[in-house]
Amino acid sequence: MTARDAFLSAPTLTENSVTHDHLNWLEDEAISILREVFGGFERPAILCSFGKDSLVVLHLAMKAAAPGKLPLPIVHVDTGHNFPEVISFREEFVKKHGVRLIVGHLDDSIAKGTIRLAHPLESRNPYQTITLLETIEANRFDALVGGARRDEEKARAKERVFSHRDSFSQWQPRAQRPELWNLYNTRITQGEHFRVFPISNWTELDVWNYIARENIELPSIYYTHQREVIERGGLLVPVTDITPPRAGETVVTRDVRFRTVGDISCTCPVASTAASADDVILETISATASERGATRMDDRANDAAMERRKKEGYF
Amino acid sequence: MSTAIFRGHARPLRFITCGSVDDGKSTLIGRLLYDSKALMVDQLESLGKARGAQSQSGKLDLSLVTDGLEAEREQGITIDVAYRYFATPKRKFIIADAPGHEQYTRNMVTGSSKSDVAVLLIDVVKLDFAQPTLTLLPQTKRHAALAGLLGLQHIVVAVNKMDAINFDAAKFERVVNAFGELAASLKLNAFTAIPMSALDGDGVVAHTVRTSWFQGPALLPHLESLEVSEARGGTTAHIAVQWVTRDESDDHLRWVTGDLAESTLAVGDAISVFPSGASAIVGAIRTGRGLIDSAKPGEAVAIRFDRQVDIARGDWIIAGNADAQVLTQKTQATIAWLDNAPLTVGRRYVVRHGSRWLPARISAISARLDLANGQWQDTVANETGNPFADVNANDLVRAEIEFAQALPLTAFAKSAALGAFVMVDPGTNATAAAGMIH
Repeated sequence: MTARDAFLSAPTLTENSVTHDHLNWLEDEAISILREVFGGFERPAILCSFGKDSLVVLHLAMKAAAPGKLPLPIVHVDTGHNFPEVISFREEFVKKHGVRLIVGHLDDSIAKGTIRLAHPLESRNPYQTITLLETIEANRFDALVGGARRDEEKARAKERVFSHRDSFSQWQPRAQRPELWNLYNTRITQGEHFRVFPISNWTELDVWNYIARENIELPSIYYTHQREVIERGGLLVPVTDITPPRAGETVVTRDVRFRTVGDISCTCPVASTAASADDVILETISATASERGATRMDDRANDAAMERRKKEGYF
Repeated sequence: MSTAIFRGHARPLRFITCGSVDDGKSTLIGRLLYDSKALMVDQLESLGKARGAQSQSGKLDLSLVTDGLEAEREQGITIDVAYRYFATPKRKFIIADAPGHEQYTRNMVTGSSKSDVAVLLIDVVKLDFAQPTLTLLPQTKRHAALAGLLGLQHIVVAVNKMDAINFDAAKFERVVNAFGELAASLKLNAFTAIPMSALDGDGVVAHTVRTSWFQGPALLPHLESLEVSEARGGTTAHIAVQWVTRDESDDHLRWVTGDLAESTLAVGDAISVFPSGASAIVGAIRTGRGLIDSAKPGEAVAIRFDRQVDIARGDWIIAGNADAQVLTQKTQATIAWLDNAPLTVGRRYVVRHGSRWLPARISAISARLDLANGQWQDTVANETGNPFADVNANDLVRAEIEFAQALPLTAFAKSAALGAFVMVDPGTNATAAAGMIH
């Protein structure tokens, strides 16, 4: 029996049969972490790429605040190289939910000279960190909530739920504070801050199951659509102004969807005909490549790539 | 709402693996992830890229799955607790993987505080079966003592490397008996011992012909079936108040939020507030799933009362009348010291109890856990010099702690919420110690 068959033959949930089932337990844990942020910090914010993980965190944050309003702003680091579907989704989301949005523009950092690109079409992903840190300093945030999960990548497996950053925003894996029970040590001095990860314990499958259960809206590129791509080194590279075909490459149109949303220059779709969250779950159960490996050019270079970027202050 | 393909109806099981890399701990975790298909193709490829991945037998070295940070691979050590995830059709699992060598107590205390179950590895190759009485290793005694102190609900003894002793049932039985005596001396909860070879897979996901003499379950089916509870046996519902929100659509009514501990709380129940002593009746309860009549332990709740109550983060909501609140300022506790700076008796630290921060100090130390044998040594037995002058990282002591104000303390064995605290160094903000009230 394959893993997929086993999942499909498992007994189906009857409504309310278990109070503290899998997703409710994860939901409660995340809500509790978010309320620590709401109650325990002076100037918190939620960092949001408007990808599926950060949208799940926003959904949980609204539940954690209910019946009150979301008590903190949303921060988006805009590389200027976005999928247009994501930016239009962002604008609609802000309008629909009446949340406060703060955008940190990478182009502003370039104009100021704090970011210098080697060439105009260089991937902007590595530079996001600089704009993020400038946005944190400008707004004096003391806690930034993010949608990172420990199962994404090796360097994340040791990440704390409340991850301390020094005044240069550096992560120091050797000097992490031990986390005991849910008694988080959130004490900081001036200029330091915390990164907080409420869905640390969720896997990709948990996230999709929750999206399906809660009917959470996502940017359309998460579901199947036709797109011009180039097959390059085992990845499907989307054809855009920023990622044009190289000499000798053939452009083909494929049914694809994105598994993560990042800077255009480094985010690739996978071949898929999944049109709903349920379709994605079935695909995920059968998947043979983990999320980042299949879709992120930046992590493939080196097994320790993420660890190095995190030490420098990457989210 | 689509439930057609929603899976995983049980509460996730969190377990800590105790043992060193030599015991096959990393191989066991790698085996669970590999056999449950939690490892993907590119992660396996990445294992191939990691230095030293080729094992001598040419088999994939599963232990490298858990070998996380570049800094660790270079030095061949594991720095810190790492969390791993896998799921079967029956259950989701969260593994706290605590490294076995340096900083062991610190890592095991940290990992255990987020676990329901301890999986203790025993490497049979390291045992001397020639002796008439089988002696377990000091680390096994240490792991068992810590699992007991931290109140883990179940202990699974993974008797590993059975392939090296030809899956000898009689030798397995001797290990079980030796652990049984240890468990009795430490007054531990019941344990389950399972013979296995993590390297070859026997006894992990299923038993093989080589372990067919064993009547019990393999490790994974056993973990799938374990019942765990959010409550510890306390009887009074309580909530550390995290945050207060207002319903702007309904006359700015205040909702008080926090995690419900130990018992159910229902609409109509009487509560009192610590420290104000104010009383109220629960008027409404909501969770992430909406409005409910009665909440269960472990649920993250928002509560509205039948009247205006002065309440803020740091307070406690406790079921019953204010007269029933038992407040204590000075008490005995077990202290697991975590900071590299040693404990200073009499020094003022800051302590987090529930959501409240307050000053506290250790006024006296009465005993120390001997990590070699899991036994407590008290002052009477050690009158040569002062064996308690230095409390360093990874030491466990029994001590008297004095808080700056009287608190609704409860024994850790009855409530993790009211019975646990953390101590923080007010100079460095380092997390200095974990405390458990007696």
